[in-house]
Amino acid sequence: MASLDDPGEVREGFLCPLCLKDLQSFYQLQSHYEEEHSGEDRDVKGQIKSLVQKARKAKNRLLKREGDDRAESGTQGYESFSYGGVDPYMWEPQELGAVRSHLSDFKKHRAARIDHYVVEVNKLIIRLEKLTAFDRTNTESAKIRAIEKSVVPWVNDQDVPFCPDCGNKFSIRNRRHHCRLCGSIMCKKCMELISLPLANKLTSASKDSLSTHTSPSQSPNSVHGSRRASISSVSSVSSVLDEKDDDRIRCCTHCKDTLLKREQQIDEKEHTPDIVKLYEKLRLCMEKVDQKAPEYIRMAASLNAGETTYNLEHANDLRVEVQKVYELIDALSKKILTLDLKQDPPPHPNTLRLQRMIRYSATLFVQEKLLGLMSLPTKEQFEELKKKRKQEVERKKILERRAALESQRRLEERHSDLVSHATNGEVVSLRGGPAPLRKAEGWLPLSGGQGQIEDSDPLLQQIHNITSFIRQAKAAGRMDEVRTLQENLRQLQDEYDQQQTEKAIELSRRQAEEEDLQREQLQMLREREREREREQFQAASLHTRTRSLDFREIRPFQLEPGREPRDHLAHALDLGCSPAQSSAAPKTPSPSSALEPIRVWSGPPALDQEFFPQSTTSQHNEVPSLNPFDEEDLSSPAAEGTASRPAAEPSLGPPACVLKEYNPFEEEEEEEAVAGNPFTSPDSPAPSPFDEEDGHPHQRPSGPPVPGNPFEEAPCTNPFEVDSESGQEGEEPIEEELLLQQIDNIKAYIFDAKQCGRLDEVEVLTENLRELKHTLAKQKGGAD
Amino acid sequence: MNVVFAVKQYISKMIEDSGPGMKVLLMDKETTGIVSMVYTQSEILQKEVYLFERIDSQNREIMKHLKAICFLRPTKENVDYLIQELRRPKYSIYFIYFSNVISKSDVKSLAEADEQEVVAEVQEFYGDYIAVNPHLFSLNILGCCQGRNWDPVQLSRATQGLTALLLSLKKCPMIRYQLSSETAKRLAECVKQVITKEYELFEFRRTEVPPLLLILDRCDDAITPLLNQWTYQAMVHELLGINNNRIDLSRVPGISKDLREVVLSAENDEFYANNMYLNFAEIGSNIKNLMEDFQKKKPKEQQKLESIADMKAFVENYPQFKKMSGTVSKHVTVVGELSRLVSERNLLEVSEVEQELACQNDHSSALQNVKRLLQNPKVTEFDAARLVMLYALHYERHSSNSLPGLMMDLRNKGVSEKYRKLVSTVVEYGGKRVRGSDLFSPKDAVAITKQFLKGLKGVENVYTQHQPFLYETLDHLIKGKLKENLYPYLGPSTLRDRPQDIIVFIIGGATYEEALTVYNLNRTTPGVRIVLGGTTVHNTKSFLEEVLASGLHSRSKESSQVTSRLASRR
Repeated sequence: MASLDDPGEVREGFLCPLCLKDLQSFYQLQSHYEEEHSGEDRDVKGQIKSLVQKARKAKNRLLKREGDDRAESGTQGYESFSYGGVDPYMWEPQELGAVRSHLSDFKKHRAARIDHYVVEVNKLIIRLEKLTAFDRTNTESAKIRAIEKSVVPWVNDQDVPFCPDCGNKFSIRNRRHHCRLCGSIMCKKCMELISLPLANKLTSASKDSLSTHTSPSQSPNSVHGSRRASISSVSSVSSVLDEKDDDRIRCCTHCKDTLLKREQQIDEKEHTPDIVKLYEKLRLCMEKVDQKAPEYIRMAASLNAGETTYNLEHANDLRVEVQKVYELIDALSKKILTLDLKQDPPPHPNTLRLQRMIRYSATLFVQEKLLGLMSLPTKEQFEELKKKRKQEVERKKILERRAALESQRRLEERHSDLVSHATNGEVVSLRGGPAPLRKAEGWLPLSGGQGQIEDSDPLLQQIHNITSFIRQAKAAGRMDEVRTLQENLRQLQDEYDQQQTEKAIELSRRQAEEEDLQREQLQMLREREREREREQFQAASLHTRTRSLDFREIRPFQLEPGREPRDHLAHALDLGCSPAQSSAAPKTPSPSSALEPIRVWSGPPALDQEFFPQSTTSQHNEVPSLNPFDEEDLSSPAAEGTASRPAAEPSLGPPACVLKEYNPFEEEEEEEAVAGNPFTSPDSPAPSPFDEEDGHPHQRPSGPPVPGNPFEEAPCTNPFEVDSESGQEGEEPIEEELLLQQIDNIKAYIFDAKQCGRLDEVEVLTENLRELKHTLAKQKGGAD
Repeated sequence: MNVVFAVKQYISKMIEDSGPGMKVLLMDKETTGIVSMVYTQSEILQKEVYLFERIDSQNREIMKHLKAICFLRPTKENVDYLIQELRRPKYSIYFIYFSNVISKSDVKSLAEADEQEVVAEVQEFYGDYIAVNPHLFSLNILGCCQGRNWDPVQLSRATQGLTALLLSLKKCPMIRYQLSSETAKRLAECVKQVITKEYELFEFRRTEVPPLLLILDRCDDAITPLLNQWTYQAMVHELLGINNNRIDLSRVPGISKDLREVVLSAENDEFYANNMYLNFAEIGSNIKNLMEDFQKKKPKEQQKLESIADMKAFVENYPQFKKMSGTVSKHVTVVGELSRLVSERNLLEVSEVEQELACQNDHSSALQNVKRLLQNPKVTEFDAARLVMLYALHYERHSSNSLPGLMMDLRNKGVSEKYRKLVSTVVEYGGKRVRGSDLFSPKDAVAITKQFLKGLKGVENVYTQHQPFLYETLDHLIKGKLKENLYPYLGPSTLRDRPQDIIVFIIGGATYEEALTVYNLNRTTPGVRIVLGGTTVHNTKSFLEEVLASGLHSRSKESSQVTSRLASRR
């Protein structure tokens, strides 16, 4: 909706808290702040609070507007000249108009009527059951007759001189026959017969519905019944002569009618037409798309901006998956379209219409969703994007670093206690804009080709951070904090243990992964993760045993900050900001992404939610907060999150989608990411939930969403982002991939155009397709 | 107060309540129109409604895998059809919604027909009117009166429509009506009666200022529907005719097959939504922009796709282009046809004189202009007749009235007798004798000064200087100055404060010019919301039919033909 990305409406970005001037980056804001406002007498915190509130309001408005009815959208043109009244389109949403239900009345009347009918049917079926309960073939006629008479009293012959149905007089030649179900009399002509199979069907069905409402499977009863029926039908030939009713039951037309109606109902209940089965599958696929597509679009948007939050291969896998589902939708709807088309009596026009409409709506669905599916950059392009981004980032980083040092100095003067850096979450959600992205910097793909370096493990870093916190807290005599921190430390160590034990597996697997990252592999990984996760919970007790050992392992790093307090300060304040740290990123992307989820999710879930704000605070509160101490107490439990979060951070992206099924926190997680990120400057491609349809309105405010145009300048605004230098080597010829993609797309369009009968378009498209194919061929030739 | 939204909400609720699965929507003729105004096919398809059937259609197949949503007016025929349907159900389960109050006995007979227990829901959802715009509704009744009295059938339909509107907006209003009109009084009483009878339904949360229902009669202002229009929506209706958002373009020379009939709906046509109230000149420039925009996106036939970037851009723009091309070709066709008609019928000149007749009091100049135009061969008999009608209405009692001379001119021009007769019929319908208020000469000093000033300043736009009489009425109403001796309250209680929520209903049909007026009033008056409704929405042609149908003058052969045609249409 166009109204959402109207930058004039909601001010966001790096606004100066004092003069609300919009500054393009964090750095600029900081320098501006220092230049303009450092001398002013002010209550900074109050200012910030008001700013926070403003930002909150703005965000709420944004969110609310998104949820609002579309009534707003058509009115853009008018807003400019409104005089104080309200455009009828803009009238506030109203509740549903008055309604009145007659259902209870209706049911009352119906019940009176139905009861009568149901009783009648049930009576007949019970009698029918009694009549078929014994083995008719091997019972003498006389005995059968006796049983039959016991089921229902027969009307006296003398009472009925004429057939009540046709009015013929009974005589020796026109004999009386009794209905076995109601006992009434009719002549032979008016007599009806119920075959045993039918009887069995009726009785077994009602037994089914009585006994097992839930299980739709066929009861053994009916199987048995049909077998018996086939036997009796063999013997029936001989039995016709002596008029012994082996395989059928005599009854009057009325009873038969009632029973037939009943049979029809049973049939309808049991029979599911093909179209329904196919349709259900179709809907399932559509649901899947609705689930997966937004996720993919988020990924693609991020990747196309050169961010490294997500893994390109994951995105590619997801893309393939989604596309497969689309193909399935297409195939299913096509199948529905042609269902029964060749049958001899052609289906009713309405059936055909239904099939056409389903197909049409499926096409609409695919059109709308598939065509909105932006393409991914190829690996080369991705590298290029990343490089561009990095260049810009680096420039900013140098500047920022300077600023950070300066502010750090100031901060040092005020308080040396590190624990204090935990401040209220409000500030964080505001200022944390760039933080989530920045965190990606240190840990994710950046290490590229490098192997594991022990001390670069984010877990270890956290652990030593926390130990230093504990020390300081002890020094400060805050015992409660020490306790919580220790608890946190223990958890971290558990995780670290876990990680260590898995390293071996990981190493051996990486080889295989590099060779092929096909879907089966992924699938396998997923399962393994799930298993491991389970394991982990079970094995929690085991880790306590090994902990003492690991402690020793960690010790060197624990000491490190002690020796270099200043550096350590930088650590805590500015996690991952220093170049030294960024080089210390732990893992190559693919294996780590497979493993990291475990670490992340095994932690106490509550922590995850706190992480974002806390860690960002640690980076930023140096700027505005002159004395963050005040709020510290409030958030001290959260402080423990500070340490553990950065490590978990990098894995957030990929696993979020990999682990989708069993990650109950994902939704919150994403929300959080956004909440912490209201500041992504206008063209930062943060995975924002606002970008529902057109991917990333912020990113390309002008023009149509050109998804992932790799030729466009990557809008690189995040000053914190550090990119990986070294990429994955040995890519495929990328152009080819892209070409194939395009060819697929064009084929889809052609199909669509044909569907709608726009032949001229088909021609243009076909022409394009040919050219593309040509190019492809040429390229292939060149490559060879 | 948004009527489109109100109906749409009802429909959405029905579909939602029926749960997932394939669905069929069973409707009657009228509800089909009601639904089609608020939902497009593709929109409703997404909600798994794949078939649309008429309840009276005999050719429906048994499809037990479908759920049926029945949205029907509670008429006798519909109930009978439904009873037949339930006796032999064609679908697995039925959700029944009546668009208005249904009698208990009808519910009972339906219940007794439902032996197979296929009915899952029976409700009243009061979407019993055609929602044209958020602030405009219609009942699509053409020819509501016989002489000066209600056609009883139409009176009950109008009552139902109006009460349904009130219920759907959850308003229990005070009622005012135009004293000079017997029909307005009758309708007001009928609505009041329903409110009293169904008092349980009308128990809504009380607002500080109760809503107001104002019932007017077309007779009071016969000028507005006789004028040519220059804003997009009104103009399209005047020159091409809008019927339930549909426009019949089949008479346009050289029209392509898929543009024979187009849909103009502000709900899903952004260009239309943004331009429907703009005047012709503005639309011209907007459509030019639209075209240019489109040209930019349009792939050129010989466009070389030299680089992959080119191809990519092409492919990615394609869906947009496709969507746009539909809108563009539609509006270009419509606007093209409008401008063709304007020049063919010399409408600019005609309209200028019309506006002069409607807004100014210079008899001699007006007469001269009318006479001049009657000599112009480009002016159609239709336009000629309406010029004379306007003249006749305005200068009915003027001392130097020269209507007979103009009638002679009409005859000489070869205008058919039908139209010539209509001149006197229109005067009979909306002449001075009938009007409760003065259309032409300002009454109080303020208005006189205003007009004087207006005369000095000159008019901004010659073609749109006319302001419907409704504007003045509503303006007074909003300011609390509407005279109670002309527009009395029904019942003892009166409104002490200025009204906030206003529903205006015009018996004999509203016009799009009035809809625009109400739209602008809504936008310029803070705190006031006005919804306009009419038995129908008129253009000149349909208005003349309405006048004919009322059979006011002499019951000639022609008029009775029209009446019977209208009757059969119902």
